[in-house]
Amino acid sequence: MFLTLQPNDKRPVYQQIVDGVKTLIARNGLREGMTLPSVRQVAGDLGINLNTVAVAYRQLQDEGFVTVRHGAGAVISSRTPHPIDEAELCQSLRIALTELILAGKTSQEIEETVRRELALLQQTRSCNTEKGGAQ
Amino acid sequence: MIAPTDFEVMVLVTALVVLSLVYSLVKFAWKQPLQNGPGYFLGIEVPAGFYDGPGKRWLTGYRAILVALHLALAVALALCFAFKRWDLIPLWCGGFALVYVPALFTLNLWTRHKLGARPPVRAVALSLESRRLGDYISWPIETLYAVIIAACWWLLLRRGLAIDWLPPLQMTWAALILPGKIALVRSGAPLPAERAEEHYRYQDAMRRNAIRALNAWGWLMLVTLCGFPLRLIWPPASLPALVWIFLAVFTAVFLCMMIVIYRGMRLAATMGRNLLPAGSWMTPFRRVTRQMNRFYLIWCAIWVGGILVLNIYSLCR
Repeated sequence: MFLTLQPNDKRPVYQQIVDGVKTLIARNGLREGMTLPSVRQVAGDLGINLNTVAVAYRQLQDEGFVTVRHGAGAVISSRTPHPIDEAELCQSLRIALTELILAGKTSQEIEETVRRELALLQQTRSCNTEKGGAQ
Repeated sequence: MIAPTDFEVMVLVTALVVLSLVYSLVKFAWKQPLQNGPGYFLGIEVPAGFYDGPGKRWLTGYRAILVALHLALAVALALCFAFKRWDLIPLWCGGFALVYVPALFTLNLWTRHKLGARPPVRAVALSLESRRLGDYISWPIETLYAVIIAACWWLLLRRGLAIDWLPPLQMTWAALILPGKIALVRSGAPLPAERAEEHYRYQDAMRRNAIRALNAWGWLMLVTLCGFPLRLIWPPASLPALVWIFLAVFTAVFLCMMIVIYRGMRLAATMGRNLLPAGSWMTPFRRVTRQMNRFYLIWCAIWVGGILVLNIYSLCR
């Protein structure tokens, strides 16, 4: 299981880690009970500061995606639907849509992109669910 | 049956070391710069046609350094034999490693500075697999290892202060490799996002190989350490067969160690052939070097420094 950090990504590194882990959870690649590598291992492997990884893990813990247990590390939490603030969701969506419109995309193209991405997410999710069932 | 003399033992040890050095020079070190294909020199990306132009000079320079190092080794060895200083043979082995490794490391840094000062920045992949010590290190074997060291020292201590403590101390220090293995498990280099899975497998295979090589080295030192109490309990004159058995075990462990090292080198060449070498790219955060973390480098400095101090002390006393 890998998450990718892009060189031209404007988000801070800790946010890229948080978003990457969330994406893997959404795709069912990371399931309940799975352990994330230690903060030290992630920091060492990426060559970044320990605190950066610790901030990412803390955010994931605060949002209820992982449980940090002493000695066991960060474990993916049970998959209860994550409560999200409607206003916050709309804001994130608005920012993304603004970026796309400023990039010159038409409404039709944006709708198509959203549909394609959603289909890809569902496809990966069902594929990972099948894999998990087989294991 | 007559027990071999110290001179004969040293000739055997020297022959084993020289044969393995010549083999690794011819089979691996000579072709090392080209290991990743014609697009690279010592793992650093070079432009097309490099080996038709300046590459020839770089390759000749690299090989000249290798030859010079081996010639210096041969001269030092010849002097040891000419002056009948068999006691200097272990120092010669250690001294060579202490000169050879930093020389090639410096050459690597110099090459990187000259040929690959600005490698391309690429996306980096992070593996979410946890590396647990138990997956790499066998704790029952480590316990057995510690018990054998303790038993050797218990047998030696029963003899009091009448024996020469330095050689067993040197062997014990050289056998203390568990922190190095732990550091290796903890070490990791960033993975390029393209073919991350293959790069991950390659890196993990290299980690396991390095641990296997350290294990083999540890057992070699342990066998040598066991020789000291055995020699005190059964002097060679009283039981010459034991000396031959000891030498056979030593040779077998040495050959096993070399096989482990050569298999690892061959595997590295095969698995890493089409992969992106460490040092040829940069992550958005830092340059990718070989998998070495700070803990591993500190351990290396303390461990090698300890061997060096003990060797110099044995030479000066």
